[in-house]
Amino acid sequence: MANIAAQRIKREFKEVIKSEEIAKCAIKVELVNDSLTELKGEIAGPPDTPYEGGNFVLEIKVPETYPFNPPKVRFITKIWHPNISSVTGAICLDILKDQWQAAAMTLRTVLLSLQALLSAAEPDDPQDAVVAKQYKEHPEMFRQTATHWTFVYAGGPAKMPDLDDKIRRLTDMGIEEHNARVALSSYNWDLERATEHCLFS
Amino acid sequence: MGFDVNRFQGDVDEELVCPICSGVLEDPVQDIAIHPTGNNLYTLVYCYEIVAAYEDLQVSNVLQAPVCEHAFCRSCINEWINRQPTCPLDRTPITSAQLRAVPRILRNLLARLCINCDNIVYGCNAIVKLDSLTSHLEQCEYNPKRPMLCEQGCSLIIPKNELKDHNCVRELRNLIQSQQQKLADMKRELGEQQLQINEHKREIHLLKDFMRALRVSNPAMRAIADQMERDEVVRWSATLPRARVTRWGGMISTPDELLQTMIKRTLSEYNCPPHVIDELMENCHERKWPPGLNSLETRQNSRRQYDNYVCKRVPGKQAVLVLHCDNTHMPEDMMVEPGLVMIFAHGIE
Ligand SMILES: [Zn+2]
Ligand SMILES: [Zn+2]
Ligand SMILES: [Zn+2]
Ligand SMILES: [Zn+2]
Repeated sequence: MANIAAQRIKREFKEVIKSEEIAKCAIKVELVNDSLTELKGEIAGPPDTPYEGGNFVLEIKVPETYPFNPPKVRFITKIWHPNISSVTGAICLDILKDQWQAAAMTLRTVLLSLQALLSAAEPDDPQDAVVAKQYKEHPEMFRQTATHWTFVYAGGPAKMPDLDDKIRRLTDMGIEEHNARVALSSYNWDLERATEHCLFS
Repeated sequence: MGFDVNRFQGDVDEELVCPICSGVLEDPVQDIAIHPTGNNLYTLVYCYEIVAAYEDLQVSNVLQAPVCEHAFCRSCINEWINRQPTCPLDRTPITSAQLRAVPRILRNLLARLCINCDNIVYGCNAIVKLDSLTSHLEQCEYNPKRPMLCEQGCSLIIPKNELKDHNCVRELRNLIQSQQQKLADMKRELGEQQLQINEHKREIHLLKDFMRALRVSNPAMRAIADQMERDEVVRWSATLPRARVTRWGGMISTPDELLQTMIKRTLSEYNCPPHVIDELMENCHERKWPPGLNSLETRQNSRRQYDNYVCKRVPGKQAVLVLHCDNTHMPEDMMVEPGLVMIFAHGIE
């Protein structure tokens, strides 16, 4: 790893450790290996969002050319959000692409920006088209789905018994649970269409 | 890239840290871009910024515009600008032309910081002021690569850590080899250049022939060419200083070959147009001089007219040029085209 990247990451790592947000358990970062090329981030779901109470783990890869290029970040925790792929966890956020600023942005600001993204989705610049469509056309459905995913994958507090029932109907047919959840989420919890999708495609 | 903050004694002021590499500024520069929207969040939180009163930059439409002076290591900001020509703190467009040395006060603050030696891992415990780090490193006993003079005979300067395996003969042989290589390269280059010169000569020859043919076949062309040549002589004459002949009696009417060659070389050194140089040199001997000059006898008769000649100095020589273009006022039997060269034993000023 280039000296400059290592020097920066060390300092940014300390910055997160010392930050107020860590005291409030809002963000967290851990080293994955000694070479500082990979880190594990964590952000708390912001209040008054479907993600509230959830804990979202992030994979942060630091490129050799850091800080001249942004870190490569994706969600490890599965999440239902228009700007985050429900399949790969890839994130669509300008500062992680062409709006990256070498001197202004750090691990801390990246984590805080991702947290902000959870509070304010941008469905017009989606990473996950299915989620974005639901977000725009069926906002209540979206809220429930996201809350459900937060409960299942991120340790969120709100259990959604209706949705669990529908999933069970599919798993009873021998469909794997996550696949069942994805299908139902994608078809606005229309059991018939989700079943059709799981069995015939 | 800046210096690791941990190498310094005590805490380092945030203002002395490069926001790109997080190290203490090395060879710092600052951007002096005008920030039209003022401060943004990031700038406020993270950057070292002085809203300076650059009065000359406060033109009417940007009256309120603060000029920020973000300081970065030169290498860091240049690497960023190569990727993206904006301030890495707030995206204001900047170019490397907008980078300036940081104010002296900042440089002084940096210079005063105390840093440990790069060779601490080799045992050097020195702590020096940042501005004397370079000179310390050059002499640092512990620097494994300190340049040392070989005392076994070859007198080459080699890094200390290579001294152990150093072999004078081998090093010198390598040196000879590389010199020979260089020599061979130069010879080859010389040969290539000679070829090129020959090629150019041939082309010039062709061009000359071509021009001559044009001149012969086309009277208009001939007139133009003649005029150009005359103009060239006039221009050349204007570059030469006037000469005064104090003793016309010192004139050498039959100069020998040696004298002629010497004068000719001087003329060509001083940019004599090549189309007249041979003719001029022909006209340095009385056998080519006009009727009023071509024998001792006629010269004695013409003597009073000598002072009417407009003479130009042949620089550094006891000789003058009497060019036709400067002497149209002279009677025909005292002038020839394109002019005369008069060589003297003495008496030229
Ligand atoms: Zn730097
Ligand atoms: Zn700036
Ligand atoms: Zn030292
Ligand atoms: Zn030697």
